[in-house]
Amino acid sequence: MKHITPMNRKAKAVEQAADGGGVDEVYTMSSIVTGCTATVDPGWEIDPFGSVAALCAPMEADLYGCSDPCWWPAQVPDTMNTYPDWNADAPSAQNDWRELGAVFPKK
Amino acid sequence: MTRRRRTGLLSASLAAMTAGLLSGGAAAETLDPKALITERCASCHTPEGTDSWKRISHIRKTPEGWEMTLFRMGHLHGAKLSANEATALIRYLSDTQGLAPSETADYRYILERQPNVSEAEADEGLVTTCARCHSFARVALQRRDADEWLKLANFHVGQFPTAEYQFMSRDHEYWKRISTEMPKILGDRFPYQTAAWTAWKDADKPDPAGTWIVSAYQPGRGAIGGSMAVAPAADGTYTVTYDLVDASGQPVAGGGLATVFGGYEWRASTDLGGGSMREIMALSEDGKTLSGRMFQADADEIGARVTAVKADGQPTLVGLSQASLKAGESKTVTLYGDALPSTVDFGPGITVAPLTAAGDRVTVKVTAAKDAAPGWRTVKAGGSELSQAFAVYKSVDSVKVEPETAVARVGGGGGAMAAITAQLEAVGYLNGADGEPGTDDDVRLGALPATWTAANRDAAAEAMEDAKFALTSHGGGLFQPALAGPNPQRRFGTNNVGDLAVTAAVKNGGKTVTGEGRLVVTVQRWNDPPIH
Repeated sequence: MKHITPMNRKAKAVEQAADGGGVDEVYTMSSIVTGCTATVDPGWEIDPFGSVAALCAPMEADLYGCSDPCWWPAQVPDTMNTYPDWNADAPSAQNDWRELGAVFPKK
Repeated sequence: MTRRRRTGLLSASLAAMTAGLLSGGAAAETLDPKALITERCASCHTPEGTDSWKRISHIRKTPEGWEMTLFRMGHLHGAKLSANEATALIRYLSDTQGLAPSETADYRYILERQPNVSEAEADEGLVTTCARCHSFARVALQRRDADEWLKLANFHVGQFPTAEYQFMSRDHEYWKRISTEMPKILGDRFPYQTAAWTAWKDADKPDPAGTWIVSAYQPGRGAIGGSMAVAPAADGTYTVTYDLVDASGQPVAGGGLATVFGGYEWRASTDLGGGSMREIMALSEDGKTLSGRMFQADADEIGARVTAVKADGQPTLVGLSQASLKAGESKTVTLYGDALPSTVDFGPGITVAPLTAAGDRVTVKVTAAKDAAPGWRTVKAGGSELSQAFAVYKSVDSVKVEPETAVARVGGGGGAMAAITAQLEAVGYLNGADGEPGTDDDVRLGALPATWTAANRDAAAEAMEDAKFALTSHGGGLFQPALAGPNPQRRFGTNNVGDLAVTAAVKNGGKTVTGEGRLVVTVQRWNDPPIH
C-alpha cells in the first residue's frame, strides 16, 4: 500500500487487515480440515474464516443454485453435467431435502 | 420436471461400486482383465500395442483412484461393469499401474478416511489450484506425465465449467497457469515413471497369510488388541479371523474377507464385535507389519488406528491397553505381543503383579509408588521393549483437545444422510524437562476422563445461538450433531450448524486443568467418493 492512501473507514480497515497479516490468516484457516472446500466465498461447508456464519443458510434455500451451476462439485453433485438427475425426486430443496441422497452412498 | 429419472438405478450401481469392490470380490481372479479392457474400454481407449491403451496406460493410481475412474466411466460414458468385473480390473490396474508403498506413505490419511486431518502441503500454488475443492492427497496419489496432467486440467474445465471461477480466474492468468505451469510442476513431482514403482513392481510381494499381533486404538473407546489370523481363500482373497479384547477386557471377535491390491494395499470387509467394518491398511514392504485404519461401514468417522505385527515366535511387544498411571495408584494393563513371558517390567517405581497370560496377551496389575518419578517408562517383556508408550504422572501439566479442530455434520431428521459425529479426546501431558507445555519433550499421558462443554465460539455464533441448536449431546467427548433440514426455530430458519468452542475439564487433584478445541457443525456432504 505504498502508492495509495485510504480515504474512508473501510479502506483504512482493509489496509489494517493487510498490515496485520489478516490476508495470510484467511488462507491458512481456509483449509482447516481436509476434504472441506474453502473455494470462493463462502465455501460449501466452511466459510473463509473456518466458520459457518458466512455460509448461505439454510443451505436448502440455495442448494440448487449450487448444484445447477456446478459450484462445489466435490461436495454437491453438479446437475449441469455429472449427475443431472440427482435431485429428480426433490423438486423443492426446501420441502423435499429428505429425498436427496449422496452420490457414492455408504451402503 | 423433464429430466430422466434414473436416481434409483444410479444409487444401486453406486452402492455396488462402493460396498464391496475393494474387499472380497469372489471370482474376480477368474476373469481376464485384459480381455475386459479390450471388450469394454478399447472402443474409446484404442490399443497402442501389447497391453497398452490410450489414456489408461499412462496413469498410475491407488485402488480407490481406479475405483473412482471406473465409476466415472460407467456413469458418464456407458462402460458398464459388474461388481466382479470392476474388481478384476481394479486388481489388474493396481498391480500393473499402482503406486509403490513409498509413494502413498505421506497421503494414506485420505485412503483411510481419517476424520479431521489438516493437510500440510507446502506448495501454495498447488494448494490454491487443486486443494480448494478437494484434498491435495487426491492429486498426490496419482502419477502422470505433464501431457496427462494437462488432459486432467482440460477435463476439469470441461466437466466442471465453474472450475474457471474456482481457480480464481479473475485474479491471474488462470489458463496459462493450469495449462502450462501446473502440468509441468505436477509432471515433475508426480511423474508416471519412478524408480520406486519400477522397483516395487518387480519386487517379491509380502505374504499376508499367518498370525498377526494387533494393537489398535479407537478414540473415545480406547485400546483394542489381540491377534488376527489370515489364511488364503478362493480367488486370491484371504479370510481374516480376529481374537481381540478391548481395554475393559471385553472380547471383540469376528472376521471377514480381505483382498490385497498392488502387492500391499489391504482392503477388508469384516463383521467385528457385532458390526460391519471396513479396513484400509498397508502391508510394509518387508511384510512384517500391517497398519492403517478399520472403521464402521456405515459411519467411517468412527474407527480405530491399527498396527499389526506378524508373529514369528520371537518375543515381541506390540502395544499396551493403557498409556499412563498416576503415582500412588494401581491399574490393570494388558500387553499385546507375540510369545510374551508372564514376567514384564514397567521400569522404576512401578511394581507389577501378573494376572493372566495367554500367548498373544499378558494382563498385569501395575502399581506406581507414591514417590515414583513422573515421566516416560520403557516397558520390557522377554527382551522386547516399548519406549515412550507408558508414563507415570503425579499431576497433569496440560490438557489438549484432540483433534484441536473438528468438523461434524448434521444428519437424520428423516433424510437419507446420517449425521457425522466428532469424537474428541482430552489428552493429558506432562511438560517434560523444559517445563513448558506444547513442546517436543512433552510426555503424553493419553486420553483422560473429562467434563465437556460447548459454547458459542464468537459473536456471530452467539447471535445465532449456535451452541443451543447445533448439538444433541456430547457425553464422553462424542459430539452428536443435531438434525438436518431447515430449523424454523432458528433465525432465518437456518440449519443446525454452529461454530463452537469446546472445553474439556480434567480433574487434577483438587484442581481442574482445561483444554480448548474448536468444533464446526456444518451441513451434509452430498458427494462422498472413496477419495475426498
